[in-house]
Amino acid sequence: MKTFLNSLLLLSLLFPSILMSQTSVSGVITEGSSGLPVPGVNVIIKGTSTGTTTDFDGRYTITVNTGDVLVFSYVGYRTQEIAYTNQTSLNISLAEDAAALDEVVVIGYGTTTIKDATGSLDKIDSESFNKGAIVSPENLLAGKSAGVRITSSSGAPGSGAEIRIRNGGSLSANNSPLIVVDGVPLSGGSINAINPNEIESYTILKDASATAIYGSRATAGVVIITTKKGRTNAPLQVEYDLQVSAGQIIDKVDVLSADQFRQFIIDNGGDENLLGNSRTDWQDQIYETAEGGIHNLTVSKGFENSSIRVNYNLANQNGVLMTSQYRRNALNLNYEHRLFKDHLRVNVTSKGSLVDNRFADEGAIGSALFFDPTQAVEGNYGGYFEFEDEDGVRNLAPRNPVSLLMLRDNRQRAKRNISNLQLDYKFHFLPELRFNVNAGFDYEEYDGRYFTNPSAGFNNLNSGQFPSEGTYFGTNKNRLLDLYFNYKKDLNSAVTRVDITAGHTYQRFYNLGESRDLNTGTGNFDEVVPPSPFQLILESYFGRAEFTLANKYIFTGTYRRDITSRFSPDNRNGNFPSAAFAWLASDEDFLKDSQTLSNLKMRFSWGITGQQAIGGSFPYLGVYSQSNIQAQYQFGNQFFPTIRPEGYNENIKWEEATMYNVGLDYGLFGNKVTGTIDLYHRKNKDLLQFAPVPAGSNLENFLDQNVGETVSRGIELGLNFSPVRNDNFRWDVNANFTLSDVEITKLNLVDAPGSIGTPTGPGLSGGVGNLIQINTVGFEPNAFYVFKQVYDANGQPLENVYVDLNGDNIINDNDKYRYQSPTPDAFFGFTSYMNYKNLDFSFTLRGSLGNYMYNNFKSANGYGQAILNQVGNQHYGNGSTDVLNTGFMENQQFSDLYVEDASFMKLDNISLGYNIPFEKIKFRASLTAQNVFVITEYSGLDPEIASGVDNNVYPRPRTFVLGLNFIF
Amino acid sequence: MLNKLKKTTLLVLGFLAIVSCTKEIDELRPINQATADEVFDDPASYKSFLAKIYAGIALSGQQGPAGNPDIAGLDEGFSNYLRLYWYLTELTTDEAIIGWNDGTIKDLHYQNWTAGNEFISTMYARIFYQTSLCNEFIRQTTDEKLNERGVEASLQADIQIFRAEARFMRALSFYHALDFFRNVPFTTENDPVGAFLPTQTNAQDLFNYVESELLAIEGDLVDAGQNEYARADKAAAWMLLAKLYLNAGIYVGTDRYTDARIQSEKVINSNQYSLEGNYEHLFLADNDQSNEIIFPIAFDGLFTQAYGGMTFMVHAPVGGSMSAAAFGINGGWAGVRTTSAFVEKFPGMENSDDGRELFYTTGQSLQINNVSAFNNGYAIAKYKNVDRNGNAGSDPTGDFPDTDFPMFRLADAYLMYAEANLRGGGGSLTTAVGYINLLRERAYGNASANITSGELTLNFIIDERARELYWECHRRTDLVRFNQFTENGVWPWKGNVPGGTTTSSFRNLFPIPTSDLSANPNLQQNPGY
Repeated sequence: MKTFLNSLLLLSLLFPSILMSQTSVSGVITEGSSGLPVPGVNVIIKGTSTGTTTDFDGRYTITVNTGDVLVFSYVGYRTQEIAYTNQTSLNISLAEDAAALDEVVVIGYGTTTIKDATGSLDKIDSESFNKGAIVSPENLLAGKSAGVRITSSSGAPGSGAEIRIRNGGSLSANNSPLIVVDGVPLSGGSINAINPNEIESYTILKDASATAIYGSRATAGVVIITTKKGRTNAPLQVEYDLQVSAGQIIDKVDVLSADQFRQFIIDNGGDENLLGNSRTDWQDQIYETAEGGIHNLTVSKGFENSSIRVNYNLANQNGVLMTSQYRRNALNLNYEHRLFKDHLRVNVTSKGSLVDNRFADEGAIGSALFFDPTQAVEGNYGGYFEFEDEDGVRNLAPRNPVSLLMLRDNRQRAKRNISNLQLDYKFHFLPELRFNVNAGFDYEEYDGRYFTNPSAGFNNLNSGQFPSEGTYFGTNKNRLLDLYFNYKKDLNSAVTRVDITAGHTYQRFYNLGESRDLNTGTGNFDEVVPPSPFQLILESYFGRAEFTLANKYIFTGTYRRDITSRFSPDNRNGNFPSAAFAWLASDEDFLKDSQTLSNLKMRFSWGITGQQAIGGSFPYLGVYSQSNIQAQYQFGNQFFPTIRPEGYNENIKWEEATMYNVGLDYGLFGNKVTGTIDLYHRKNKDLLQFAPVPAGSNLENFLDQNVGETVSRGIELGLNFSPVRNDNFRWDVNANFTLSDVEITKLNLVDAPGSIGTPTGPGLSGGVGNLIQINTVGFEPNAFYVFKQVYDANGQPLENVYVDLNGDNIINDNDKYRYQSPTPDAFFGFTSYMNYKNLDFSFTLRGSLGNYMYNNFKSANGYGQAILNQVGNQHYGNGSTDVLNTGFMENQQFSDLYVEDASFMKLDNISLGYNIPFEKIKFRASLTAQNVFVITEYSGLDPEIASGVDNNVYPRPRTFVLGLNFIF
Repeated sequence: MLNKLKKTTLLVLGFLAIVSCTKEIDELRPINQATADEVFDDPASYKSFLAKIYAGIALSGQQGPAGNPDIAGLDEGFSNYLRLYWYLTELTTDEAIIGWNDGTIKDLHYQNWTAGNEFISTMYARIFYQTSLCNEFIRQTTDEKLNERGVEASLQADIQIFRAEARFMRALSFYHALDFFRNVPFTTENDPVGAFLPTQTNAQDLFNYVESELLAIEGDLVDAGQNEYARADKAAAWMLLAKLYLNAGIYVGTDRYTDARIQSEKVINSNQYSLEGNYEHLFLADNDQSNEIIFPIAFDGLFTQAYGGMTFMVHAPVGGSMSAAAFGINGGWAGVRTTSAFVEKFPGMENSDDGRELFYTTGQSLQINNVSAFNNGYAIAKYKNVDRNGNAGSDPTGDFPDTDFPMFRLADAYLMYAEANLRGGGGSLTTAVGYINLLRERAYGNASANITSGELTLNFIIDERARELYWECHRRTDLVRFNQFTENGVWPWKGNVPGGTTTSSFRNLFPIPTSDLSANPNLQQNPGY
């Protein structure tokens, strides 16, 4: 009886809720650390498609049944599930998710989540980007991902960077990754038309399982850039961001001072009468403080079925080298519209930019180092001093570095637009099936002109001559059409999920560059031979199938068939498969409840990718080239233009890389610590190389051909760690470490034991066409090929004394050996982000170990004759202070003395910010220093030069940035 | 319904896109670049192609002065045929030494070059570039091809002459290959273009081939002195045959002095050529006017521009206190001088009465203590970009000379006749002495230095060849023929010692470049390397 009564009581208590099952609940959703309301949070009843999103004030209202589970999700925050038990209101505080496993990642032709990804990929969000006044998008990524090296090309304003993913396995073909912006693969070259402020995230695809869907262009990895978009149902938001910067060179190259120089001339029997009376530090004369300003104005608004985002960017950056300047005006537009109850999504993205460059003559950098410091800046040639003789300006003397900058004007304007239209249709009768169309183009036009002042010494005009002047211009076009179907469904069977994609893509490229130089004799622009544009059509079929078993075992296979116009009909089809398996071990019963191990995934992948980026449009086809006016030949009294049959290789085909990858993703302590470990092995075969052909067999001595093999290996470690994370204080650390190496295993059609290999690398100063690097079987690419220096008992190098390595008592080329290379053995990045209430503080450290550099300034200017023996013997040239250390009199440029360990650690940026959430305005101010310091043993200015040859590089400035950000 | 329609439309559109672009790939053709079948639609192309074959030894590529090179692997300015030919034939001898630091350039004079020497390997590449170019011309101008293309009869007749000239130019380069390397890969018009490994020939076969080609084309070539300026004629072929025969003992171990004498005689007796009155005029901007030059390599300040060739030969020897303006150029490159061993070939040295002595000594020392310093060693003022009246050449910038290179000239025919006669090749000693004295009288302005038949010895010949033909790319071959190049003969800095030393005789041949040994397993290295 009692039991019955109790039951009745219980029933009566429950009764109202059962009867009044349909109620509505509302609440406010706030951000955990700031307490600010979060608009746009998804609120869904679990297991249904019923849901809503929060408004501008973070409020929501939803109709629920008791017992329903509400799912609150927002990108970058931990998803929360709360059962509705008649609460009157449900206010939620969102906690940021250190390792958002559910986070969506854009991959090739689709998306996945971090949790489901079977390949090795890394997503880097805008909040993790490098801080500071960054003009080139690549620089956002430096030090952020294991296996990825970013080396900015120079300190010139607007200059890009070299990206290497898992080193390059190719020798002469392109080692830069394919860059895909909002689904449009770019044609290579500069990406600084893209405003870094507008980048939402990068996805870096590293292993073949991730990249193989891009087939023939994927061997060097893939970088997918996703730009920011508006959100539906979002209030009007206006954001203004300003970054004002000032940069200065950090250090100067050590050259003899005017007094040291004079003494050196006197001590070595030079003619003091040839010296001037000034004390000029030429480096001080050519560098200045570089100011810059980056403005971003963004307006966004979301409607019920659409959203729009518009950004205007003005980036103005002066260089530290006088007269160098970069300016970008860019307009980004994104519009999204949803039709037919979200069944059709239409997205339009357009990125327009107008980039104006004024290029300083970088020859002034070298000239400032070897120009006689006893001469004055001012003189007779346009106001500047030059060395002269009875015929006027001395022909082969160096030119006044300041005049090179001030009396030459070289400007270029580039207009570029990257746009695409994306349609994504969910079939009405089968919503699991989507059809996606992406049509896009990348169009660029550039136009440059240079003028020189007629009175400039470097014009060196004879009577009746015209000063140098010219123009250069060109067009780069690339258009794209992708179509694919995607079928994705969760099932209640052994196979818990299928995700199948199949599609077709077509892309066509066209590049044409031309130049016209004034004929300094006639004063007219020379007629030119009509240039032949670069043309390429790529057509591909691709597919991906992913099956998940028991929610734990994920199998992925991809396949791509590429057809290229670059190769002959017999070789133009290439097949690029991949396969991968991932095991979500932490979802197994025996680990499910582990308190320490919150996530564990193991990945295994294999795949084949291709490489075709080498040389011209039709390397397989014999064509004839016309000569220009200056390359005619005289028969009788008439000059005949000539035609040249070009060499060709009918057999040219894809380079292929086979990559194996084993990876482990883990999370500890509720994902407070997360990380990845990847091991890879890649073999590139049939390397596309510009390599010697057997003499007599073709119409050139070098041709693009498939010869050689390389093997690359590496271990990559990534770690994210949050030592402290509470309402007031948060500290996140990201660290990554990479060990890697590349070895050439084959270089010729046939094994040629004892072959010295192929000299390579940039030409050195100190002798025309001299190369210091070599590719040899059994060694790293670009190894330095040098003589072994002999030292005396005091460790002083002995001039022109080298080890007779082959023991034949003759010191000649056969005694050179391979000594190190510019490729690091290991590199690492370390980012720290701290946030205390409204204050935040972050820095990025980056380093590299075992990378070597050839100090070409020292080798070409650090010996007595380089100073004393100038063409004509009527002037002297300054040199490196190294001449005082070595005492060398003659050129010893092939000595290993000049190959130095350039391992380094750099503090790339350090930033302090303060947020003030006013009632109507969010305000943020920040102070950032970039390129703060470098720790290195290397004796030159900067240990980081991609080629490994340090020769008058535009110095990277140290920059201080004040940033202000307003959100209305 | 609407959706079904939409779906169908999209599928159809997609399908169309797929179909249309596959076809596009097949139809994609180069723009502004013709294939062989297209280029010869223009009848003028045949002569343009012939011009390329000649330009192949003058220029570095399709863009003057630089920018679109024929061959790769070395800076374009250096990769020029004539410049490399000059390096290998002159820098290796007592006549020239260079002070620059460009790669292994000094090894040439030091005679310690290796198979990796880029100047040797690029000369080798140039030679086979040139022979391949000629092969392609011959392939493209067969009767079958010409008829197929409907080339009209008068042009077909011209093309027969072009073909003979292309074969001459090929024989010239194969001769250089024989002289420098002997055992080289060998391809003719009967080989394909593409991925195959040419087989290695030997000195005897190569010798026979060059000889047979020159003899075979003799009838097709234009008569001596009758062709357009700068195109080869019968006399050019005779000169080349004379050189081939004169050196036959070295090349194949069989003396052919009679043949050498006969070929020289044909040149001389053609009566198309006469000695230039003033020796110096042979090397000036208007030397195309000279009647002594049998076969030139033509340059022009405005229309035939290169950084190699004559631009190098006029600029590189100018430095120190020399006035660039006197050479018709905008500045010297301060590289090339000569050794005291060559200066001593002239009686009275720098004060010789021999008018061919053109040393520049102001501020220059006779001895070379420092190879890199231009003022160590006498300079030579031979090639100039001024005409016989002292006017500078046509290029107002002073970069590119009008001066042509005298590849073959009458004086050489005289000297070859005399040498062949001395070595038992027949002919008349009196005639030989007479020829030599023509050169002596021009050099001295009178008969004071004429020689008697008793004074005409082989030792006299080798020195007289140096005095007459220095810096004209004959010295290395001459020294090898007289066995003075390596194991005998000493001059400053030979063997990389200041006083000079002898070197091993295997250096009478250059090595097959390592790069080609790696690319072509059919090749064997020359002995010693």
